[in-house]
Amino acid sequence: MKLQLLRRGVQILVILGILAVPALTRYNNYLASRELDRQMERWEGTLPGATLEVIDAAMRGLPGGEMERAGSWQRDRDRVLARAAVLRGGAWSAEIAGVSMTDPLAVVESVAAARQLPWVLIVGAIIPVLATLMLGRVFCSWICPMGLLLEGVDKLRRLAHLLEIRPRNQRASRRIKYGLLGTGLVVAAVLSAPVLGYIYPPAILSRELHDAALTVFDRAEIGRFGVSLAGFSFMMIPIGLIALVELTVSRRWWCRYVCPGGALYSLLGWARPVRVRLASEQCTACAACVPACPMGLNPMKNAMGAECDNCGVCISTCNDDALSYGIESPLADLLARRGTGGTT
Amino acid sequence: MSRDEEARVEEPRLEEMGDEDERVTDRREVLRLAGRHAAKFAVAAAALLGFEGLRRSDEPPIGARGDLGIVRPPGSLDEEDFLASCMRCTRCADACEPQCIRLFGPEAGALHGTPYIVPAEQACTLCLACGVACPTGSILPLEKMTQAAMGVAEVDERLCVVHNGTGVCGACFTVCPLRNRAITQDYRDSPVVHADACVGCGLCEEACIVRDRRAIRVVSSRGVASVGGEEA
Repeated sequence: MKLQLLRRGVQILVILGILAVPALTRYNNYLASRELDRQMERWEGTLPGATLEVIDAAMRGLPGGEMERAGSWQRDRDRVLARAAVLRGGAWSAEIAGVSMTDPLAVVESVAAARQLPWVLIVGAIIPVLATLMLGRVFCSWICPMGLLLEGVDKLRRLAHLLEIRPRNQRASRRIKYGLLGTGLVVAAVLSAPVLGYIYPPAILSRELHDAALTVFDRAEIGRFGVSLAGFSFMMIPIGLIALVELTVSRRWWCRYVCPGGALYSLLGWARPVRVRLASEQCTACAACVPACPMGLNPMKNAMGAECDNCGVCISTCNDDALSYGIESPLADLLARRGTGGTT
Repeated sequence: MSRDEEARVEEPRLEEMGDEDERVTDRREVLRLAGRHAAKFAVAAAALLGFEGLRRSDEPPIGARGDLGIVRPPGSLDEEDFLASCMRCTRCADACEPQCIRLFGPEAGALHGTPYIVPAEQACTLCLACGVACPTGSILPLEKMTQAAMGVAEVDERLCVVHNGTGVCGACFTVCPLRNRAITQDYRDSPVVHADACVGCGLCEEACIVRDRRAIRVVSSRGVASVGGEEA
């Protein structure tokens, strides 16, 4: 349970981070142009004003954020400006405290479309690729903003079950997503333009949240406050459709069968050493973990393939402490799976 | 707590126990499958191409300034390479302290998510932070502001109050970061732009006192449909 709380916490932090980026840039902008105090005064009691105040309190509050000048404590401008630059980008590509991290899908697509591999791309890919090689599709379960949205829809599915409405759970081939990944890369290379980035939900959602947060400040600058959907574009429609199909037809269908990013993460995480392991002597074959698995896998088979995103829901669900994360040599696991030949 | 409930409500049917085709894992297998499913591949490619076709439109997007061309951040690659390598991640706009970098909305089709600058509203201060932030090398990190090639400012001598003799100004000359190189002053302090030195930051356009249509404007060859923009 603790693990799931931690995971939910990380997911929410990611969303807050995506929303914080535009706020931080605007804070930086106002401070650099010496408008910050005026804006905070003018926007007092509104959402953008409160956001600026929270950021300001954080930036000044941390040690070294203020200095004494002419008898009063004031912002250490240079330091605060540097601090406000800690966070940039979104779920597609982010820079956290100077460390650049880029979604491997963005990297391969940029390489396919531009036919060049500059150093910045490689540097940005190091951390995500290493993390995926070690941990598998953890981006999907811990970071992807769409993942959080779909887990929310999952709760609605559960509610529907309680109301005796049974949403369908259509299955499809997991190969679709590999096909889409390959096709997308070919199309990107032919068009010399990214395509997958435009249909990849975390990238869309990240961009939309970014623009929505920025629009709050844009509107405030022309004296408009209050709730508005002005920052969202029609790209929210596919996001809504994915959620709708999730609710009615198929659980986590996008992630399991379609997502090109998920396909790439699956390929990268295929031989990961950190896996969910089953202690068969403790397992009572209650099968509680099977319907719990968001990815539709069967942890009781003790052969979590490339699809497992190490979310740990099965571990938290298990009544007998039979499931846990384990570390094992990927090669040995591969040989073992080859040896038993698998089923069907 | 609610896990038990969940287990009960989503009752495991036999065909849902685990997955039949979860073992498509090795690369050779994927390639073999791709070969066997060439038709599906073609359908998917057609769908993606159609999607791109739908998204792209001939209408000039908001932010494209017609014949004046699109102004991209300093250090941007050639338009073709730029559109290919840019991953539309927002990081250049986040790094932009004067907030001059904006991002095209989805109505811009193929340009969606790429950065542009409208100098008349907020010009680039040539801080060059965007090149450092760019994770794809679409915007190169420049060392000197003289390396930025965003466009070239052009003076409309009929509109400029100094040139046409209706007033006294000097705003563009004063604000130019390459003063005396990119912009010099001629007879009665009238501004003269030197195309070889001007980097197209647009600070002059932002500062110009002629408001409805600026007397000095940055011209870029990017995103101009036909012959119009051979100037830069």
